[in-house]
Amino acid sequence: MNLEKIKSDIEAAVPGCNVQIVVNGSPSGQHSLLLERQHVFEIAKFLQDDSELHLDYCSNVTGVDWLDTETSEKVKVQRLVDGVEQEVEEIRKTRSPGYLEAVYHLYSMEKKHGPLVLRQRTENRTDQINLPSLTPIWRSAEFQEREIFDLYGIIFEGHPDLRRILMWDEFEDHPMRKDYIEPNDYEYEPTPHDAVLEKSMQH
Amino acid sequence: MNTIFIDIYRPIAILMIAAVCFAISPLVMAWVWSKKFSPRKPGPVKNATYECGLESKGAALIHFKPEYYLYAIVFLIFDVEAIFLLPFAVAFSGLSVGASIAMLIFLLLLVEGLIWTWQKGVLTWV
Amino acid sequence: MDPELKNELSRQGIFTTTLEELYNWGRKSSVWPLTFGLACCAIEMIATTMARYDLARFGAEIFRPSPRQADLMIVAGTVTKKMAPQVVRLYNQMPEPKYVIAMGACAISGGPFKQGYNVLKGIDRYIPVDVHIPGCPPRPEALMDAFITLQKKIATQHLTGVDRPRHLNPDAPSEFIVPEFGAHDLEPPKNLKLWHITSNSSPKIPSTADNNEPGKD
Repeated sequence: MNLEKIKSDIEAAVPGCNVQIVVNGSPSGQHSLLLERQHVFEIAKFLQDDSELHLDYCSNVTGVDWLDTETSEKVKVQRLVDGVEQEVEEIRKTRSPGYLEAVYHLYSMEKKHGPLVLRQRTENRTDQINLPSLTPIWRSAEFQEREIFDLYGIIFEGHPDLRRILMWDEFEDHPMRKDYIEPNDYEYEPTPHDAVLEKSMQH
Repeated sequence: MNTIFIDIYRPIAILMIAAVCFAISPLVMAWVWSKKFSPRKPGPVKNATYECGLESKGAALIHFKPEYYLYAIVFLIFDVEAIFLLPFAVAFSGLSVGASIAMLIFLLLLVEGLIWTWQKGVLTWV
Repeated sequence: MDPELKNELSRQGIFTTTLEELYNWGRKSSVWPLTFGLACCAIEMIATTMARYDLARFGAEIFRPSPRQADLMIVAGTVTKKMAPQVVRLYNQMPEPKYVIAMGACAISGGPFKQGYNVLKGIDRYIPVDVHIPGCPPRPEALMDAFITLQKKIATQHLTGVDRPRHLNPDAPSEFIVPEFGAHDLEPPKNLKLWHITSNSSPKIPSTADNNEPGKD
């Protein structure tokens, strides 16, 4: 499957949408398409209905938590040092906010091709965590979107039954988020080491 | 004659009573034993309704509609009707006009039931 | 009775016993487990009951599908925090005398899933465990060994006295706290009456509610 072609097909079918190719540098080279939230539903419908692609099966939906990242780069700046203008190296830090991501793996049972990997990202990790649900298009996404809601806290709009699936309903955290702090119940550790050692030492 | 009758059956009656006692006595003994010796420790959780470990919610005695009459009607139409149709077909040439009309009325009633269930969507699979 | 005299009498063909021995013999020979499996250890438990290993030889042939008729709970598998209240409730619904075998690494301590966000780190945080079996999963022989250990434990229990088992002591509790689902963890995270740890620098084997035997760890 040629991602460039799929991308141009999508852009032709859904006017005004912006699809980015996210390159996967690993040996698997499984590149993916990053979709905008406002067009995801139409794009998904196109991918399912298009006679050439006909992606009728959503095998897997995953959540990914991307923390805020800080990149620093060295920049040469002209600055007055002791009254003389000199070229000084300065470290500039740029902070890019984190986001939550839902990744969909699509296959076509009829055409026997796939996977096509779709990604959609939330605005941030705290308050704007809504994404459109693709369960109305691929029914198999229902439980997996519930699981992402449970473990990552992404709220899927349009999901028919968005409840927690693994944890109990009264639970408030999202355990798969990278900043999740689990309850420290490592009181009894016969052979602690690494992370468990640190936690057990707090008792 | 009556006395002979009693004489014959007396041993059987005694045996029967003994057999019943033999069967019941262990149960009675077990019951008495449990009343006397079993460590009773009732508690709110222990006395609660067994729901495979979950807490029971709401009352158990509620009305719900199984709609079983629909199955009964469909059974009547497709099974009982077939049973009656076969003898009707075999004896058809020898039947009087009255008997034929009676059978046709019976069939008409069942067809009416079929149309009714059809309209209710019972025949649609899922 | 003097054990030597008893030995001598039995050699002469006279069998003597005490009420306590008879009572314990009857109890230990008909321990009915609860049909109850949580994870992969349950498969080994099933294998133990089948023809090849045949747990029925020890009087545990009937797995009761209701806690009302069961004497033994084999906690076979990972206890998730979502399942823990149900396990404790089932244990509470069993009539006295009741025993618990914690089967496998998960039931003892959380095992390989210990650092999982939803794994209870040992069922002995909530219910008193009589025998612990390590292993992942333990082999059927290990479960049979645990069962025989439990039978030995039952055989040594006294009907009267300070160290009599819990079911004969009217003051000892029969029900234990069923944890509630909290916002971040189970409430309470452990039953402090069962779970005693002094400090982590000197780890101690957690004691069980029946103080008459430390259990097999």
